[in-house]
Amino acid sequence: MIFSGGRVFGLSIGRLIVVVPALLCIWACAPADGAIVFSDVTKETSITFIHTDGSSGQRYIVESVSSGLALFDYDGDGNVDIYFLNGAPLRGAKYDNAPTNELYRNEGGWRFTNVTERAGVGDTGYGLGVAVGDYDNDGDLDIYVNNYGPNVLYRNNGDGTFTDVASHAGVANGHKVGAATHFLDMDKDGDLDLFVANYLDFTYENHMIRTSKGIPKYAGPMDFPPMPNDLYRNNGDGTFTDVNIESGIAEHKGWGMGGVSADFDNDGDTDIYIANDEYANFLFQNDGTGKFEETGLIIGVAYDLHGDDQGSMGADCGDYDNDGWLDIYQTSYAEELTALYRNLGNGLFEDVTMVTGAGAGTMEYVTWGNSMVDFDNDGDRDIFVACGHLQDNVELYNNTTTSFCPNIILMNTGEGKFIDVSDQGGDGMKVKLRSRGAGFDDLDNDGDVDVVILNSRSGPTILRNDSPSKGHWLQVRLKGVKTNRDGIGAHVKVVSGDLTLIDEVHSGRGYQSHYGMRLHFGLGNRDKIDRIEVRWIGGGTDVFENIAVDQLITLTESGSEIGPR
Amino acid sequence: MIIDKKTGQRYAGISGNSQPAFLSARRNIVRALVILVIIYAVVAGVFSVKFLPHSNGQPLRLEESSDYTEDPVQLPVIKPLSTKQEVIDLKNEEIRLAEQLLRDFPDNEESLVVMGNLCYRHGDVVKALEYWNKALQINPEQASVYKSIALLYMKKGQFDDAVTQFRKALEIQQGLPDVYVNIGHSLMMSGRPKEAIEALQKEIQISPDADFAYFLLGQAHLQQKEYQKAQEYYEAAIKINPRYSNAYYGLVSACAKLGDRDKANEYSESFKKLKSEERKHLKGRKIEYDDFVETQKSAAITYINVGRMYRENGKLAKAEELLKQAAGLDPGNVVCFLELATIYQIKKEPAKALQMYKKISEIQPEYPLSYLVIGILSAHLNRYDDSEEAFRKLITLAPKKSDGYRELARLYLKTGQNLPEAQSLAEKAVALEAIATNYFVLGWACYTNGDNAKALPAIKRAIQLDPDNQQYRLLYKQIQQRN
Repeated sequence: MIFSGGRVFGLSIGRLIVVVPALLCIWACAPADGAIVFSDVTKETSITFIHTDGSSGQRYIVESVSSGLALFDYDGDGNVDIYFLNGAPLRGAKYDNAPTNELYRNEGGWRFTNVTERAGVGDTGYGLGVAVGDYDNDGDLDIYVNNYGPNVLYRNNGDGTFTDVASHAGVANGHKVGAATHFLDMDKDGDLDLFVANYLDFTYENHMIRTSKGIPKYAGPMDFPPMPNDLYRNNGDGTFTDVNIESGIAEHKGWGMGGVSADFDNDGDTDIYIANDEYANFLFQNDGTGKFEETGLIIGVAYDLHGDDQGSMGADCGDYDNDGWLDIYQTSYAEELTALYRNLGNGLFEDVTMVTGAGAGTMEYVTWGNSMVDFDNDGDRDIFVACGHLQDNVELYNNTTTSFCPNIILMNTGEGKFIDVSDQGGDGMKVKLRSRGAGFDDLDNDGDVDVVILNSRSGPTILRNDSPSKGHWLQVRLKGVKTNRDGIGAHVKVVSGDLTLIDEVHSGRGYQSHYGMRLHFGLGNRDKIDRIEVRWIGGGTDVFENIAVDQLITLTESGSEIGPR
Repeated sequence: MIIDKKTGQRYAGISGNSQPAFLSARRNIVRALVILVIIYAVVAGVFSVKFLPHSNGQPLRLEESSDYTEDPVQLPVIKPLSTKQEVIDLKNEEIRLAEQLLRDFPDNEESLVVMGNLCYRHGDVVKALEYWNKALQINPEQASVYKSIALLYMKKGQFDDAVTQFRKALEIQQGLPDVYVNIGHSLMMSGRPKEAIEALQKEIQISPDADFAYFLLGQAHLQQKEYQKAQEYYEAAIKINPRYSNAYYGLVSACAKLGDRDKANEYSESFKKLKSEERKHLKGRKIEYDDFVETQKSAAITYINVGRMYRENGKLAKAEELLKQAAGLDPGNVVCFLELATIYQIKKEPAKALQMYKKISEIQPEYPLSYLVIGILSAHLNRYDDSEEAFRKLITLAPKKSDGYRELARLYLKTGQNLPEAQSLAEKAVALEAIATNYFVLGWACYTNGDNAKALPAIKRAIQLDPDNQQYRLLYKQIQQRN
């Protein structure tokens, strides 16, 4: 029986409607061997979010850099949901209905429901950066939104609703222009602290417009004073204490944008990397107690290979060469290559963008959200780069580039090189918008990583990964018991035959976004996991052995629990 | 990311270098200086004080120059642009001029290049490429156009295409400066450091002072993990340019990777200091929040390029009008004054030419060659005090070059003043540069001072070095006659 009960070959008719055209497209597009293919499924998702930058022609600088997004399972149903940040009306702009951030519940099968109102997360502030973490260790995920203006901490009530507790928690952070934000357990005490990056000191009074060849354009970051970033220590009682002075963070003023907090020196604590726009990037190295030393210059991540400041935008980390160390990928301004900093494992990084081809195709565009993800499950991490010019009229004074542009996918050859396969990347890679934040997660739980992109002044792009699979995979969700509940900062090593992969759980990454709390490992043709080691932040190391592939497993601290979902 | 040191503006650029000198002010200044050297040769030939034979051994005053009653050149005073509409109008006027040029010289590749360059400056690189390619169809032997196209590809990140175009430029003009370094840079950017090293080695043979080439060699060796070699090349770059912050950054990287943390820290301090000094230029940037001034300067380049075309094709009145307009738009651009000076020389209006050179010396007071031309033209116009002042300034600015000593000696010989000093000056000129014209002036000075014993070998040497020069032979004859 081929057709029975509304299912064909075990797939629902609805699913077939999605799958068949995608298969036809894959066949018609005839991707080259090894291509990574994305299908644009935005229309199928019922997502109606439209980003606004709050502009009214005044060209306030904050308009040009918004916003990020978060992918996380807010209701614990096993599906990754989407939270889009939104701008807000800036001086001179008028809207009939105030734009809000929007939360979309993933119903499965690429259907999403707008639950913003029900969940109570429709902040009307000017959203820039976002991070998600269980700051109160109550078993559900909370949201921190870094705004231009007072910030918001949405505590998850555990019933599908949230309450803004930023003021009570002491993390409203004044009235600043925000950027990236990360939850991390900086002092290994089992609860999540909060890093809050700030972009620059903009006010309506010091606003300015520049011109290029007489054409008006947004001013640059250097037209405004820099700001120090902020760091809050979790008091363990639902409140935080501002520790940016004693931690050493406040000593360094910059123009913060994206970033990621991770254990770059593999010493068991979480460091903070923050990309600065047109200025040296900061790597705050943690001494294990929450005191930080800024070491970006000497270790080789502050500047590009040539020692020039980059218009750094987003940054994420991952072990692209499977040598056991987290490397950093960073996006940048147009006419600059993005940067891939290889972690040499001896306390130093080197910019290998050129020799690896990791900047291929990026020079024409301003690049934003990014991540190193194994999209084709072949055992090495590829790179996705979201693109879109910051200037909405750039063509008028420089048509070497365009305001609306396609995104880029770089495939890892497995030999330390990347190839730009965007042109063979399916209809999803043909979308030309002005992308900003991007998130990467398995939205349909089919064992590969999909992509969500927030586009400035437009609807989002939802890309389903339809790559011809090259192998097995494993997804790992962590459950802390003594340490923070989602294993944020925990270091995971997966050994499968000759392949050893590492990753960490990060909260807040890429371009002012949050994603990837369940770690995804592509395994190629290896059909068994020999061993998984989890080094918990502030806890011990657990070892799990002989695990089946092609599944999502939950690993609980102390090894007491292992199981699917 | 490159930040304009003056305006603080963010603009994109290829890192490691302050943007290839593509149609830039620097390129125009270089071109201006080349023109100035050529003009000097012409001026020196036409207007310089010549030795005239005479019978009594006494210095002769030359015939007075013609009566130069030229009106001074009236240059327009153009107000700085202050509105967007004025910017638009000026850009439209530039386009109108370039289109007119295309109509006036329809089959001339240079007019297409002018239009291409204009499009590029206006940010329309698509059209720029079209015009440059049309220019190449008419005349494929234009190395500079291939170079422009190559630099454009570099800007777009199409490095393989850039290398192809650079190589075409080299096929036409081997040894063209700045080409191998850009090939090297492109190869580096496309991840081919080994090939880059080959190209960069060629550049430093052509331009031994190319600090950027040495820096890139450091970068290429760094990418090859040849840290010791990288360090050596960074140090070579710094030797040429002690304020080369990027090279210090390279040293930080190389030393750190060599395990020499102390050195790395030391170089990082130097790097941070230089970076911070570079950033100081950003102070006060908010005063100039638009690029109207830059737009106006860019428009001046169009007027100059179009004016030059008309000048080269004999339409001097039209050229003069456009170049004056250029001078009004950008009173700091030496090229328009040089072009105007050229026109006045063609029109035999030395007083006006002199006025232009004085403008140039006001803009670039430390550039010696303009004083040489001012001195020669002033002498030609019998303005001996001005001439003497200019030559003395030339000696101050370029004490190791013989031109100032020689020309001042020549002036004294012409005017019959300070004759013993003229001989000393001529001797100094010969000591600095043993060239024919210096020996000639020395011979003349010795002869005038009655020192035939020294005059004869000097003039003989001049003739040896330049046997076809009739002036030298005349002097030789006179000295022999006196003996």
